Amino acid sequence: MSCQDYEIAIGDYVDGTLDERSRTELEAHLASCGQCQALVADFTAIRQVTLALEPALPPAHVWTKLSAAFEAEQRSPIHGWGFTWKQSLAASFVTITLIASLAWIGKGLAPINGSSGRLASATPTATEPVSVKAEFDLAEAQYTTAIAGLESIANNEQSALDMETADVLKANLTVIDGAITESRAALQTEPDNPTAQDSLFDALRSKLELLQDVVSLINEMRKGNPEGAARIVSGLNQ
Amino acid sequence: MTRVIPGQPATTTRPSKPSEDVRAVDLELAQRCRHGDAAAFEELYRAHAGRLYNLVFRMVGSAQEAEDLLQDVFLNAYRKLGSFRGDSSLGTWLYRLAVNQCLDVLRGRQSKMARVTDSLDDEGADEPAASSPVVPTAVSRLDLDRAIARLPQGCRAAFILHDVEGFEHNEVAKLLGVSEGTSKSQVHKARMKLRGMLSGTAQ
Repeated sequence: MSCQDYEIAIGDYVDGTLDERSRTELEAHLASCGQCQALVADFTAIRQVTLALEPALPPAHVWTKLSAAFEAEQRSPIHGWGFTWKQSLAASFVTITLIASLAWIGKGLAPINGSSGRLASATPTATEPVSVKAEFDLAEAQYTTAIAGLESIANNEQSALDMETADVLKANLTVIDGAITESRAALQTEPDNPTAQDSLFDALRSKLELLQDVVSLINEMRKGNPEGAARIVSGLNQ
Repeated sequence: MTRVIPGQPATTTRPSKPSEDVRAVDLELAQRCRHGDAAAFEELYRAHAGRLYNLVFRMVGSAQEAEDLLQDVFLNAYRKLGSFRGDSSLGTWLYRLAVNQCLDVLRGRQSKMARVTDSLDDEGADEPAASSPVVPTAVSRLDLDRAIARLPQGCRAAFILHDVEGFEHNEVAKLLGVSEGTSKSQVHKARMKLRGMLSGTAQ
C-alpha cells in the first residue's frame, strides 16, 4: 500500500477512532515511513490547538437588535419575506389573532396573563365571561381566518411553484383537509369530545404550518435561492 | 485543555437525545415562544446563543456577518418552532437550523464569487511530502483562527463541525447531507491545507 492509501486511516488514528486491526497495520507502516510520521505529528498538533480554541461569544448588542426584531416580527410576522405591504398587513392581522387564540387554547382555555410580552388581544376580558364552547368556536374561527389568509397568498403566488411541488402540496393539503372534515364530523356527533377537539386543532395547525412553508418557499424562489427552496421542499415531502 | 493522543479519542461535547424531563422543558419553552412570550424567547436566546454564535462565527469568518446570521437563525427558529416535536433537544434542533443557514450563506458566496473561490481553493495548497513535521508544536490560536478563515468553503464546514465542534464523521455527514467518506476526505483536505498554511508559523 502507498502512503496515499493511509490518508483516511491517519485521520482516524489522530482522532482515536481507528479500529485495532487497522491501527496495528498503520503503526507498522509508520515505523518505516518518515513522511506519514510527520503527517501524524502535524495533524496531532493542529487537532490539539483546534480543541483549545477560545469560544467566540456574541456581543451584547446582538440581543438588543434581536429582541427589537422579535417584537416587530410579532407585529408583522411576514414583513421580511418580500411580500407587498398589503399582503403583510393582511397576514399580520390574521396571524396576530391566531397567536392569541393559540395561546388561549394551549393553556387549556385558561385566561392568559398579559405580562412577559405575551399577546393577549382577541381574548375576552375578565368582565366578559365566555363559555368554553364559545371560546372553542372563536378559536376555530380564528384558525380558519388565518388559514384563509395564507391560502389566499399561496393561491395568488402559486405560479412561482413548479408542477411537481404543486402536486406534493396538493396531496398534503388533501390529506389534512380530510382530517379536518373527519374531526368536524366527529364533533357534530360529540361536540365536547376532547379527542375530537384535539384532532381538529392538530389538523388545523398542520394546515397552517404547511401554508406557512408554502409562503416561505414562494419567497425563497422569488429571491432566487434554490438551496433554501430545496430545503423547504424536502420538509414538505416528509 | 483537552489532550489529543494519537490512537486515543479526544473528549468532546455533542448534543444527545433528550431525556423525558429535558424534552418536556424544551417543548414548554418552544410553546411559550410560539405564543409570543418575549421572556421565553430571551430564555431561548440566552441558553443557546453562545454555542450557535461560535459555530456561525467560525463558519462565515466575520464577526459582523456572524451577528446578522445569528439573528436570522433565531428569527427563523421562532417562525419554525411549530415544527419542533421534541424528537431531538431544542439545542440540537436549533443547531441544525444554524448549520443549514450557514451552508446557505457559504453556497451563496460560492456561486456569486466562483472565480474568487476557485483562486482561494488554490491558496494554501497541499504541502509536498515532508519527512519531518512542518507545523510548529506551539501554533498560536490566532494563527489557527486566521488559517481556518482561509480554508476553502467546501472543506471548511466539515472541518469546523468535526475538529472544532467535536462531531463524529457520521454526525457531520448527516448535518451536511453527504456521505461519511466525504466528511472524512473533506476533513483530511482541510487538515492538509492548514498544515500548508501553518508550516513555519511561530508563536
